[in-house]
Amino acid sequence: MRLIAASWVAPWAAFCLAFTGTASAQLSGAGDDPDALARELEAADTQADGSVPDPWEGFNRKMFAFNDGLDRKIMTPTAKAYRAVTHKKQRKGFRNFLANLRTPVIFVNDLLQGEPKRAGETLGRFFINSTIGFGGMGDPAERMGIAQHSEDFGQTLAVWGVDSGPYMVLPFLGPSTMRDGFGAGVDLTLDPGFWIATDTARYLQWSKAGAGVITSREPLIEPLDGIRADSLDFYASIRSFYLQSRKREINNGRTTYEDLPDIGDFEEFDELE
Amino acid sequence: MTTMTRRSFAACAAACLMAAGFAQPAAADQAAETYVQNILDEATPRLTSGDQQAMFAAVDELVDKYVDMRRVGRFVLGRAARQMTDEQAAEYFPLFNDYAKMVYRNTMENYAGQRLAVTGSVDRAAYDIIVNSKIANPEPGDQFADAIIHWRIYRDREGNMSIFDAGANEIWLAIEQQEQFTSIIANNGGGVKGIDALIAEMKARLNE
Repeated sequence: MRLIAASWVAPWAAFCLAFTGTASAQLSGAGDDPDALARELEAADTQADGSVPDPWEGFNRKMFAFNDGLDRKIMTPTAKAYRAVTHKKQRKGFRNFLANLRTPVIFVNDLLQGEPKRAGETLGRFFINSTIGFGGMGDPAERMGIAQHSEDFGQTLAVWGVDSGPYMVLPFLGPSTMRDGFGAGVDLTLDPGFWIATDTARYLQWSKAGAGVITSREPLIEPLDGIRADSLDFYASIRSFYLQSRKREINNGRTTYEDLPDIGDFEEFDELE
Repeated sequence: MTTMTRRSFAACAAACLMAAGFAQPAAADQAAETYVQNILDEATPRLTSGDQQAMFAAVDELVDKYVDMRRVGRFVLGRAARQMTDEQAAEYFPLFNDYAKMVYRNTMENYAGQRLAVTGSVDRAAYDIIVNSKIANPEPGDQFADAIIHWRIYRDREGNMSIFDAGANEIWLAIEQQEQFTSIIANNGGGVKGIDALIAEMKARLNE
């Protein structure tokens, strides 16, 4: 079931993507007027789901097309070239190294979310991997049972009860929400390198960002090609993957099934029998 | 069923569930777990023996046998399903069947033969059960070793089960398809007009 996992899990891992949902829109004021109800139902179906609206869909689709063009013309060829000149183990090492550099951001967000145990794990992983893990290229902490996890300020805001706000597609950065886009900006400032105002530091920061994009895009070459080929509406497909996976991240991987959309009880589907 | 009867049934069912202490999703459903494990055990050898054409044929056959395509096809239309005309339904459901199989075939194309083992289940309702599975005996370092593969099972009044949806780590395929379909319908005028656009889109994709 590798490809199933690749098709669904990989987008989750790479896009750092939030939510699931039903098309159960918030209907208000329609009362018993069938015409009003029909109008609200139609409007509801244009939303990403019941809780994450997409009121800027027109703009978002333009941004999505722009990003998709960049991805096809620049990112995919770059990711393929990167794959061609590196070995699988080297690529894994680079991903580990870059993940290790994110420790300050993850650690601070662990604390802000009131998760001292996870903060300890983050710190422990950093010391173990930075020393006996050859500067973070290896992941001996994982083998010791300290699994990698990720956090960001968007997740912290969600834990604090801040609503996602509208769905949005950011130029170059891809799918997000108002809350998560703001959170990404705050995360930048949690990186100590952000506060070092020298040319060398800036060069290293940009290099790190570029390397991060390429190393996270490479494992997604086939899964994204597959989604693009199979989708009737690639934009809506990526929006769904992002929002579904983001929800799991916010829940720190704890599975929840309560808010899945209803599949229709016996009565509703009687007409199918 | 009239609206009143429907309401009465829903109220009665809710009261019974509350009284029985089933307001929260209940624990394991052994019958559903066995149902899914049997399907997985049947599918693994069939999907790995033979060439690609044989594998595709096996996917189609397994889908016909175990997936309730008509129910899934209705679900992915969202609320627009209620507005679909009989003529549209006659055209849409066979197209959806072909489209969904195409997606499943492409998804399984690089299946490497890992065996999945059921790890547990959750009853969302008497008719709606989630069965979870994981790769059995994953190779060391397999990045998907901890991935949870979910199977959403529908059980009818007689106890017959069918697969309704599948997902990985809480990302569900039918929900993603619903998002696409309702988006196409809404962006093409909604309702009957939107469904016509969706049907045209599916035909175009299947003829590519």
